Amino acid sequence: MGKKFDVLTKIENSPNNLIKGLQAIQASEGYVSDEAIEAVGEYFNISPVEVEGVLTFYSQFKRVKPGKYKIAVCDGTACHIKGSPLIQEWVKNELKVNVGETTADGLFSLESVACLGCCSLAPVMSINGRVYGKLDRKAPQKS
Amino acid sequence: MSVEFKIDGKTIVANDGETILLAAARNGISIPSLCYNQKISHTTSCFVCVVKDVKTGRFLPSCSSIPAPGQEVESSTAEVRDMRQTSLNLLLSEHVGDCEAPCTLACPAHAKVEEYVREGKKGNFLESLKIIKQRIPMPMSVGRVCPRFCEKDCRKNVTGEPLAINDFKRLAADLYYETYMEDIPASIGKKVAVVGAGPAGLSCAYYLRLKGVDVTVFEAMPKAGGMIRYGIPEYRMPKTLLDKEIKHFTDMGIEIKYGMKLGDNLSLDELKKEFDAVAITIGCWKPSSMRCEGEEFVTQGIDFLREVSLHDTKYINPGKTIVVGGGNTAMDCVRTSVRLGSKDVTCFYRRTEAEMPAEKLEIHEAKEEGVKFQFLVAPVKVEKRGEKLVLTCQRMELGEADASGRRKPVVIPGSDFETEADTIIGAIGQKTNAPACLEADKFGNLAANLGDNVFAAGDCNTGAATVVEALAGGRTMANSIFEAVTGEKVDDNENPIYVSRGHWRHLAKDDLVYVNSACSEAPRTKQSLISIEERTSTFKEVAATFTEEQIKEEGKRCIECSCSAKGDCMLRNHAKDYDCDVDAIKGEKLKVAYDNRHSVIIQDRGKCIKCGTCVKICKEVVNNNLLSAKKRGLYTYIGTAFDKGFPESCKDCLECVKACPVGALTIKKM
Amino acid sequence: MSKNILKIRVGMASCGIAAGATKILEMLQAKNACVIEETGCIGHCYAEPMVEVVYDDNSSQYYANLKAEDKYIDSILSGGDLGKFDIHEGRKSKELLRVLRLAGKIDPKSFEDYCANGGYVALKNALAMEPDAVVNEVKLSGLRGRGGGGFSTGMKWSFLAAKKNAEQKILICNADEGDPGAFMDRSLMESVPHQMLEGMLIAAYATGATKLFIYCRAEYPLAIKHLKIAIDQIYEHNLNNLNGRNVEIIIKEGAGAFVCGEETALIHSLEGKRGTPRFRPPFPTDSGYFGYPTMINNVETFGNVPIILKDGAAAFASVGTENSKGTKLFALAGDLKYPGLVEIPMGTTLAEIVFDIGGADRNEVKAVQTGGPSGGCIPVELFDTPVDYDSLKTLGAIMGSGGMIVIGKDRCMVETARYFLDFTHRESCGKCTFCRVGTKRMFEILTRITEGKGTPEDLPFLKDLALKIKKGSLCGLGQTAPNPVLATMQYFMNEYEDHVIRKTCTALKCKDLVKLQLDQSKCVKCRLCIKNCPVGAISDDFVIDPEKCTKCNSCMDMCPKKAISCVAKNEN
Repeated sequence: MGKKFDVLTKIENSPNNLIKGLQAIQASEGYVSDEAIEAVGEYFNISPVEVEGVLTFYSQFKRVKPGKYKIAVCDGTACHIKGSPLIQEWVKNELKVNVGETTADGLFSLESVACLGCCSLAPVMSINGRVYGKLDRKAPQKS
Repeated sequence: MSVEFKIDGKTIVANDGETILLAAARNGISIPSLCYNQKISHTTSCFVCVVKDVKTGRFLPSCSSIPAPGQEVESSTAEVRDMRQTSLNLLLSEHVGDCEAPCTLACPAHAKVEEYVREGKKGNFLESLKIIKQRIPMPMSVGRVCPRFCEKDCRKNVTGEPLAINDFKRLAADLYYETYMEDIPASIGKKVAVVGAGPAGLSCAYYLRLKGVDVTVFEAMPKAGGMIRYGIPEYRMPKTLLDKEIKHFTDMGIEIKYGMKLGDNLSLDELKKEFDAVAITIGCWKPSSMRCEGEEFVTQGIDFLREVSLHDTKYINPGKTIVVGGGNTAMDCVRTSVRLGSKDVTCFYRRTEAEMPAEKLEIHEAKEEGVKFQFLVAPVKVEKRGEKLVLTCQRMELGEADASGRRKPVVIPGSDFETEADTIIGAIGQKTNAPACLEADKFGNLAANLGDNVFAAGDCNTGAATVVEALAGGRTMANSIFEAVTGEKVDDNENPIYVSRGHWRHLAKDDLVYVNSACSEAPRTKQSLISIEERTSTFKEVAATFTEEQIKEEGKRCIECSCSAKGDCMLRNHAKDYDCDVDAIKGEKLKVAYDNRHSVIIQDRGKCIKCGTCVKICKEVVNNNLLSAKKRGLYTYIGTAFDKGFPESCKDCLECVKACPVGALTIKKM
Repeated sequence: MSKNILKIRVGMASCGIAAGATKILEMLQAKNACVIEETGCIGHCYAEPMVEVVYDDNSSQYYANLKAEDKYIDSILSGGDLGKFDIHEGRKSKELLRVLRLAGKIDPKSFEDYCANGGYVALKNALAMEPDAVVNEVKLSGLRGRGGGGFSTGMKWSFLAAKKNAEQKILICNADEGDPGAFMDRSLMESVPHQMLEGMLIAAYATGATKLFIYCRAEYPLAIKHLKIAIDQIYEHNLNNLNGRNVEIIIKEGAGAFVCGEETALIHSLEGKRGTPRFRPPFPTDSGYFGYPTMINNVETFGNVPIILKDGAAAFASVGTENSKGTKLFALAGDLKYPGLVEIPMGTTLAEIVFDIGGADRNEVKAVQTGGPSGGCIPVELFDTPVDYDSLKTLGAIMGSGGMIVIGKDRCMVETARYFLDFTHRESCGKCTFCRVGTKRMFEILTRITEGKGTPEDLPFLKDLALKIKKGSLCGLGQTAPNPVLATMQYFMNEYEDHVIRKTCTALKCKDLVKLQLDQSKCVKCRLCIKNCPVGAISDDFVIDPEKCTKCNSCMDMCPKKAISCVAKNEN
């Protein structure tokens, strides 16, 4: 295994830690590349196609490099009722980016998430993990 | 430890650990399933195998449920059938593919086009002919006169001209029709009378004969062939070829008696007494009226064509000719008139060229031969002035669309005009002329089943139609008759479930899929025609048969649309058993990739039911982990590592392909 | 001032942090005036950021809706009126804090705080009993699974305990709180992590489990952080030694899949596989994690266990209804004044929760949705229903894990149902036909209806399909996914009919059935609407082109004179 993925070495290499391994890779790389899949497969002794099968099942894992600023607009029940689709629309228009994509300059990536767990502050979004609540139209533009 | 339980009230003993599905199967109760495979641990995916637990009212996947002692389940109630049907309908609603090729579906006879084209492409013309004759027993005729329904629906239309499908039939027939003889089974002791030796009657006789039925055909005219002989001109269908084609039927042991006319010198009651069943295929021989004054001066188109045929084309020059009508009979009349020496032939039609029901090719070739057209004119009156006939017409304009969807012609007041001619031919259409012994419907047609083991097919059943439709009707009737006289069900090998990728009119170039392999993008092979001089002065056949080389090349253009698993697709088979409807549940079908990079294996994800059988086969049986389900929900698909495709070495295993219940994993069509 | 500040607790759970509590904490710390404690969720999310000032006479005062400004900080420190906050009477009188007793009162990171407030007494009591007696006590308490199913917790424990010869037994805490709109488990883990862990240790002792997993959403970093600290403290104090038997506690982060709330899917996920469920039986207590007998309870269930073992089954069962004992946490959200986390005795009526505690306007509420995407809505006419497992089920809803969304009169119920189906069809694992294809088809039909393209025939078809998906799905996700549709069809059929027959959305929420209209008489021609329209749908003479308009409502929001309104499309 290349030095690149040595975050794996801190994890016990039993197959039940596969998801943990992928999470570690994503935490350090920001996404899981083909190369990383090969490395993870080798480390846990799981065929690459199975690794792919597991990682594509879970919405947490990204297969493309995310932007510098990762924007996640919450579309949980409370946020939806409080107008999160409009927030998402505004962000899309403002940054000219679709959900699941990264802007051409690699600065922003947008995703829609199920619930950030801050329903009482709805609608909310997070930028690089920091949650912004009680959004209105102007808020996304500012950031 | 065995367990006693009940299915539909019947006590069953399950072995230790045996599922409801298997215990049922062992006891002769068949429960449908798509995802069950004895080689692997259960996947519990398709839910087609559900049974209802009587006590709890819950539906259980029988493939995974171990029965409890004393448990009672239902497997054949309407409710259970309904659940299974819904499960299958849901699967069909996301199924992307073509159960059958559009050409085959377009063909009234459902001829296996892709299959006979493939044999033609490979140069196996006899094999090709055998496949054709499973549905089309008169390929010499059809190969020449068919309006080519198949080609109209050919997906090649998206990018250019359709495959020249009909020419495959013509060449195969020209090469092998005379020498190939089917195996004729011994007589089963049943006798059937067929009234009328046209295509419907001959087709019925043919398929009954192949089932060992003794057939006698009664024909009113001096020769057999019906409208092919007396309605289709020589230059389209040479009668020497027709004679050869008909000889085959008598060679098969079918007896044809000539000069016998039903209701005249042939009694239906006598036939019913003498035969086990009677097939009525008397055609449409009664011309429709032009409904104008002086109609007695008008020659009827089908009468005209019949006379020309009876005189072996040595018929009088009709002089200046007007043909009224826009269908194929009208085209046959104008082109025949030209060949009889007329230098002035005009077709009068009350709508415009766009609405003409005649084949575009026929209109085109008529024009090439010098035929003139007058559109938006309708006859009002015919008079005889001296030696000449005078036709009075009104000019028309198109109004609102009528029931047929075509715009209705409306008279322009005061637009009457007169035209002089030597001959005026009416080709407005024709009707069934049923004898008094048969009861016709309000259109004059006969029902397919007239009761008392009397059946009808062909034009007299459908109204005037095409040869291929008559052949198809004759074949269907043969099956009905066989069932009626033997009490045996005929398995026609037809499955009415047809999932389709859509009609080519709704598809763009990018929508076309070449699942089997890439196909040739060359233009359609051009048919070679005889010279205009010969066309306007003789009755020689206009178009030549393709050469073997031409057919082999043309065959490469075929997209091969149909599913390579169409014979053994379990989804389709169960869907048939459960009276499913591919349109019962509508919804978005995902556009997904297919993979034909491997030399042998095709993966067509649009057909995948996501049961995961292939994944488990590769993992649990082959021990080779090359497949996995990826993504989730509706977007789940089965893929190889990084979707790079199957390794070449997979061709020596193919266990996953064999296990796939549908056409998602198949072997390339060779 | 007669009393002095003893300490100030700053609510530093996720909601508080999102609302800006970190800044308040820093500013208070900078003042260096007294002890500043970080605490968990106080439960009044609508009032975040929030602090509690504790005085030396044991009294306390909340300050809420704080801003990071000196005047607020000064007010807090000086007992001023700015930001002063008192819990409203309705909530005070109806709430019963048992599970959440310590939430917002202690430092979640402090083992000592927990112990000083009665923590680990229950574990000590349990260890003094025979394991079977502990199981029995839980059985007697009548505790039922708080994850939604409502299966008797004691019974479940007894199944695992009965596996005497198992080489290993596995205990899993399901902390993969996936319902959008629910955050009870997050709050409890963030605020009092030891409470749930104590419950798990008691369960491990009672059932003989050796390996304890916590399967937690990765989206809950603060909860994971606090749990990790707490687990270290448990090891440090040797509390994982249960009368001589050591148990291991492992946190596993989920990776984002709602279906992993289902037992067998969760186990697959823990094993490092795709989180697809499998057919039961065998039940996990017979064959679970890698084939070992396995038992799964959720966070709140474990959070209740210490109460039973500390105060006894009888005391626990002293509140609640006949078949639903104890209290229940609810995450209140939606159209109400006081969203937040509440704990109420089983049997409290919906009206008490929504109106008295939540402060919703009686005239403005249409329904409440319980159980998230797996649940159903209950119309306001039935709000007298006491909340327990069985009563909610009778109404076509479910208790669920505790999400409770209040739906106001201006919401469209068809759109709401469509929203839930949008969620579930995306979260379907794709394994079984009815769920994978069926939920998608339901979603499509609902979408069609909200677009005004539905037909009256769609309604019986939708209902029939919904009932079949319930019957023919492999796991709980598919079996409950149609609930929001069936419940809205049961109680709000008129809204469906409006959409398919009259092609109107009474709530004016379905974009394709409404249009924006500009009232020229109110318009002051300021052109703000024209400037802000992203698609140029407003002409220079202030007419909105309905073809171009995307109903983004920008103009409506911007108009200073409220001259633009949303009306039914087929209205003139």
